[in-house]
Amino acid sequence: MAFFFGLGGLFYVSVLLVNAIAILSEDRFLARIGWTSGSDPGFGGMQENSVKAKMVNLVSSVRTLMRIPLIVINTLIIFYELILG
Amino acid sequence: MQRPAYSNPAPAHSPPLHHPVPQHVSTVPQLRSPPPPSTSSQGYGYPQQGQQQPGGQQQPGYMHQNFGAGFINDPTAQMGFQVGKSAVMAGQEYMEQNFNRYVNVSALKHYFNVSNSYVASKLYIVLFPWWHRPWSRQQRLANNGQDGFYLAPREDINSPDMYIPIMAFVTYIVLSTLLAGVRGAFHPELLGITATTAFAVVIFEILGLKLGTYLLSISSESQLLDLVAYSGYKFVGIIVTLLLSEILNRTAFGTGGGGTGGWVGWTVFLYVFLANAFFLLRSLRYVLLPDTAQGGGAGSAASYTVARSQRNRRTQFLFVYSYVVQLVFMWLLSRQSADPKVAKA
Repeated sequence: MAFFFGLGGLFYVSVLLVNAIAILSEDRFLARIGWTSGSDPGFGGMQENSVKAKMVNLVSSVRTLMRIPLIVINTLIIFYELILG
Repeated sequence: MQRPAYSNPAPAHSPPLHHPVPQHVSTVPQLRSPPPPSTSSQGYGYPQQGQQQPGGQQQPGYMHQNFGAGFINDPTAQMGFQVGKSAVMAGQEYMEQNFNRYVNVSALKHYFNVSNSYVASKLYIVLFPWWHRPWSRQQRLANNGQDGFYLAPREDINSPDMYIPIMAFVTYIVLSTLLAGVRGAFHPELLGITATTAFAVVIFEILGLKLGTYLLSISSESQLLDLVAYSGYKFVGIIVTLLLSEILNRTAFGTGGGGTGGWVGWTVFLYVFLANAFFLLRSLRYVLLPDTAQGGGAGSAASYTVARSQRNRRTQFLFVYSYVVQLVFMWLLSRQSADPKVAKA
């Protein structure tokens, strides 16, 4: 019954998750945890190859890349849900 | 002798990707529906001949001439025939060029280059991986000596193919729906639901694997289709589970009524899961742990010194992927409830 919608439900879940990643506040939340990679002029930051650095990189790149497509996708989904129920 | 269309050569090799061009002078004019070269021109030739020459056992040329007098000698029709043929050829080329931009057809062909003995031995390896000794894929240097490439599945038993995963995928969908029908719980959306579930499982696995390789900085040279192929081999085991538990649960062994609920089902499932995990461990070792694999190989594999903790983490990732992830997904795919009618008895 959870798979009744097939890929539709899966798509909704993934859109919601990416939305959640995209709306995290950069300076209030991520800097507190330390998930930003503030690039100093001299390289004294975290090591590039560690898992945490990669994760931070991934999160920030998802945020910068997916902001605008997410606006479009969200609008489409809102219209779909409003009009077609 | 009365059917000149029999002079078609039987295709001894697999036909090329293009629509095969007829090798003989076609007695059928192209202005009608375009026939495939061998059979339908035979069938078309026969009623024509029956009409024109009811008693004709004459030489083959006569029918050509008699029939051709109406069409082939007409220059306008001939020109139209040529134009049509060139238009079809151009259309095919255009489509192939555009198609080749999206799907790498030649890479796909490499994965389907299998033989019967390969399929049989590979199935044997998937189900009983303990008895297989050398697991590394064989390579062969290209002519310029620079880029080696992997041998096709036909020649190398360790090379992953796409034929078995795709067939196992389709068989799994059909079998699972069939078993649902036997239980009386069939409805046509079940096919779609099963298909999308299995698809989503494969996609999730590949995503997880790619995420893992990115996070752990594993520079993997293997293609995406390799990973899809490795992920598709577990459908073989799931099919075996479904079949065996369905058959054996109807005898006196299990709780009766089929399904994968009884202990027969669980035993078979555990065995198949362990076999699949072993197979994946051995196969993915060359993908995920590039320093334990052979260093000299295709191309320029940058061999950097990897810290010990990273190597441990990679091994852990491999283990977690092979066991835990596969357990979850295989359980998900082989879920089937027992037959409600029989189980109550």
